Amino acid sequence: MGRAIVITSGKGGVGKTTTAANIGSALAQLGKSVVVVDADIGLRNLDVVMGLENRIVYHLVDVVRGKCTVAKALIKDRRLENLWLLPASQTDDKDSVTPDDMKKLVCELRATHDFVVIDCPAGIEQGFKNAIAGADEAIVVATPEVSSIRDADRVIGLLAAAGIPARLIVNRISPHLVKRGDMLSQADVIEILALELLGTIPLDEHIVATTNKGIPAVLENKSIAAKEFTRVARSLAGLDAGAPVAAPGFFSRLGRALGLSPAPTA
Amino acid sequence: MWNGIKSLITGGRSSREVAKGRLHLVLAHDRSGLEGGKLQEMRQEIAAVIARYVDIDANAVEISIESHSRETQLMVSSPLPARHA
Ligand SMILES: Nc1ncnc2c1ncn2[C@@H]1O[C@H](COP(=O)(O)OP(=O)(O)OP(=O)(O)O)[C@@H](O)[C@H]1O
Ligand SMILES: [Mg+2]
Repeated sequence: MGRAIVITSGKGGVGKTTTAANIGSALAQLGKSVVVVDADIGLRNLDVVMGLENRIVYHLVDVVRGKCTVAKALIKDRRLENLWLLPASQTDDKDSVTPDDMKKLVCELRATHDFVVIDCPAGIEQGFKNAIAGADEAIVVATPEVSSIRDADRVIGLLAAAGIPARLIVNRISPHLVKRGDMLSQADVIEILALELLGTIPLDEHIVATTNKGIPAVLENKSIAAKEFTRVARSLAGLDAGAPVAAPGFFSRLGRALGLSPAPTA
Repeated sequence: MWNGIKSLITGGRSSREVAKGRLHLVLAHDRSGLEGGKLQEMRQEIAAVIARYVDIDANAVEISIESHSRETQLMVSSPLPARHA
């Protein structure tokens, strides 16, 4: 039985689809069988980010409505042996699917694949509830900005209430802005959100260029962002990955030593 | 040099530190689920209770919310007048 991981954020445009495409592809490169699911019904994008937009015949809503089998709707990636995409519908809306539909669908995919990576739409309404319904765990993507972190915090609360364990990816970090004192550091974000860090992806022009071409950056593996996505995938797959650049344990200990956060009570 | 001038203008705090401070405040309130109005109502009621026991200026009672590592606390502070007996 595989694992279903939802990529979510609250705020729009922070890098959920980019993360889903790259982590999905990187897991497939590691030999895992992977389905990436576009749960952003009505605003599908994962297909173009992965360069598979010309091959869509059926989509998620067709499967839910019983128009076709899941197997028929899956698009097989031609570059990677073990990678499939389940595209979203572009013409339906979020209410065409229920959380129960998603649970059933994800459960079916989990039975035949090692990883189901679900790309969640922005927001915390119906689309979000659908996307998290079948997930075993969550990756919360946040950029180092006040509004993104605030929304991420809200999503973390909702995931906790739903009993879904979550970890953090900080995206679009710009080291020179952090150094200049004009951007929150990954340590700041971890301290504020109190969530385990899975990875930190820099603001990287290769992401823009590979997205233009419809090639997940990890397939070219030239950029720092790609290497970090691959590292995250290794750690998800339980392979030796090396620690993220900053381990949260260190910062909470440091925080306590400096009196910033209370010592845990027994 | 420029950093020195900039920190003079911004009162010594970088935009990163300002963002951190704002987030701490906003998240404490978000996590409590208490909207601003409710918090002020609560402050007035608590001040009235304290005033029943000691002679205080109800306006001097302060209320705030703090949150660290996802644990959120309500903080009430009130001056107590010295005893003249
Ligand atoms: N690390 C990065 N470096 C540079 N550009 C990035 C990075 N991550 C994402 N982007 C760019 O930011 C934009 C938004 O990314 P993406 O579509 O993945 O966000 P999203 O969270 O899925 O958005 P939505 O909420 O609309 O679904 C895209 O143009 C993407 O190429
Ligand atoms: Mg998206």
